Amino acid sequence: MKSVLNKALYDKPVMQALLAKLALTRVFGLLSAGFVVFSPAASAQGGLPGASRINGQNVWLAFEPQREILQQSSAVIYTDERSRIKSLYGVIVSEDGHILTKASEIENASQLSLRIGNELYLDVERLGVDPGWDVALLKVAPKVPTIPVSLGHEEDIQLGYWVVSNGSTSRYQRRVKVGIISAATRGIFSDKSHVVLGIGFGVNEEEELSWKVETLTEGKGAQKAGVEVEDILLSVDGVTLNKREDLIDVLRDKKPGDMVAIRVKRGGKTLGFDVELSAREERMTRNEQMSGGELQLSERRSEFPRAVQHDTPVNNDDMGGPLLNLDGICIGMNIARASRVATYAIPAPELRDIISRMVE
Amino acid sequence: MAVEFSSMFACPYLTRSTLYYLVVYGLIATLGLFAEGELDAASFTFNEKEVPKTKADLLEIQTALVEHLEPAREATVSIRLEEGFGSGVIVSPQGLILSAAHVTGGVNKKLTVILNDGTELKAVSMGLQSETDAAMLRITEQGNYPHVEMNRDDDYLQGHWVFALGHSGGFDMERGPVLRLGRIVMNSRTTLHTDCKVIGGDSGGPLFDMSGKLIGIHSRVSGTMEQNMHVPIREYLNHWKDLESGNFIGDGAFAKRPVKGSGFAGFACEDTDDGLLIGEVLENGPAAEAGILAGDIVLELDGQKISDKAQLQSILKEKASRDEVNIVILRDGEQKNLKLTLGGR
Repeated sequence: MKSVLNKALYDKPVMQALLAKLALTRVFGLLSAGFVVFSPAASAQGGLPGASRINGQNVWLAFEPQREILQQSSAVIYTDERSRIKSLYGVIVSEDGHILTKASEIENASQLSLRIGNELYLDVERLGVDPGWDVALLKVAPKVPTIPVSLGHEEDIQLGYWVVSNGSTSRYQRRVKVGIISAATRGIFSDKSHVVLGIGFGVNEEEELSWKVETLTEGKGAQKAGVEVEDILLSVDGVTLNKREDLIDVLRDKKPGDMVAIRVKRGGKTLGFDVELSAREERMTRNEQMSGGELQLSERRSEFPRAVQHDTPVNNDDMGGPLLNLDGICIGMNIARASRVATYAIPAPELRDIISRMVE
Repeated sequence: MAVEFSSMFACPYLTRSTLYYLVVYGLIATLGLFAEGELDAASFTFNEKEVPKTKADLLEIQTALVEHLEPAREATVSIRLEEGFGSGVIVSPQGLILSAAHVTGGVNKKLTVILNDGTELKAVSMGLQSETDAAMLRITEQGNYPHVEMNRDDDYLQGHWVFALGHSGGFDMERGPVLRLGRIVMNSRTTLHTDCKVIGGDSGGPLFDMSGKLIGIHSRVSGTMEQNMHVPIREYLNHWKDLESGNFIGDGAFAKRPVKGSGFAGFACEDTDDGLLIGEVLENGPAAEAGILAGDIVLELDGQKISDKAQLQSILKEKASRDEVNIVILRDGEQKNLKLTLGGR
């Protein structure tokens, strides 16, 4: 960090970006740092030196063979004009310069450049997006063939096995972060939608959700459209609502600002309204605070048909790169930083399907 | 010099608000037994080395982890509380469980334990140490439960590799308990620090040495990834009798000592020739929730015969809010056994 800062002092935009990043270091981090500084007891004890901890630089040395694979088969993706600030990583999947990365992190980027090994590519084509997996396919024109990762198989994904991801990077040197596979590989689905109608529902006598409108959020879609308290919501976009999940399913792929057609029962009549959706405004959950808040987590961190879970403490801008095992085999592609304890990766078998669908 | 992390509460630079207890609130709002003398934490060569240096070193750690993982997972449970989730670990075939004091929240509280296959079991909290966050509970349903062995040799040291399990964020059957690998980065008498990252819902979950023996219970974290704090197993072993006997030890921050006389029943009563007659019952109050009606006659409370108001009051003044008492009433010539959970005043 120190050397980066020193270098950055000579480069104003980089410095600003770094300062912006540092500002994200939460109060908690600062306070704990303060504790270490101020408490003579803690510094006398010292504890295990940082370099020897599981993600300390001396432990990383044991992962040099895997680091070399990241050096040649991962891409550093930049969205700034000067190709200086890493936004994301990518997985190299062909000798012709095809790269997969996390789509939602670059969809609003007005420009893209990337680096493979030492080579900087300023012309990056966006060939397509798979919204279901949040994967984008990029292409560069390499002078010498790029080296794709070797994709693994289902049996390579075992609970407790070491995994290696892209950690930080300098201009010419990729670095690792390490962890283990930490839970069952499974579908990751949220139990909430990201958009809302602006209606609060009550519960019936059996304490199940009832579709009777109990409250209306001031100034939000439903109220503006003319929905009233006591109306009973029947359907959204033609989908009849029974259980709670029905509404979540209908709203899952919608964005704030989208319109939906709803039908409600009022007295004996059925009425129709067009309602504008708005973003769910939520206080951060306690576990999100513990994870460093939303800012360190991937914005899209659910709705993956299947994902490997590992405990590597990477950041949201470390996503998109390969997840390697000790043999240097790519067992997945990091797709979301989900909490203090969880990072998700698309499993290798699914990644193989995505590649054959998108590249060939 | 030993650092007492609980003393952080008194440290002006790091107030209690910078520590997180690891229970998740609301919907996110906290077999292989080893033959004697087979393996101990110090006998692994990777625990002797400053860091692993080669792939072989890394594989040695991985092999030990995978070998001892399954029994540890089977004994790891989720604990459902009124307001959220914590974790725990079973340490006897009869269903004795170790967890954190801020999970059980008190002595003699009813809790629900969830096994990995989704089986829900009734449990009751036993003793706790409110200054270090140690607590014990037991499953009250008979069974032969998967359990782990405790490290009684106290041979877990700074730098040793360890693994953590816990139901992070609450119970998720498809996911199962979440595994983490790390090292002991600091080791004081009453707190172990590791770089196994833990989060809400992990509270009370187990920390193991690489031979699969229990060495600690997850307690709390600070905002940095490096500060994950666990109660060492020696703290449980040191207080074992008290924990087993249901004693509330210490006046620390991890559990609030119940205040005698703070229990509130929510009914009015008067002495009559027929016995102690219930008059008005507070709507939605504790008595109403228990099913007590105006006109009932109180026969017994907490196993003791009741003939007048003074007797009832002498029992209630020893009780605290959230305590559950058995109450026997007479209604229309029939005796009824009801359970009354006292509210707070």
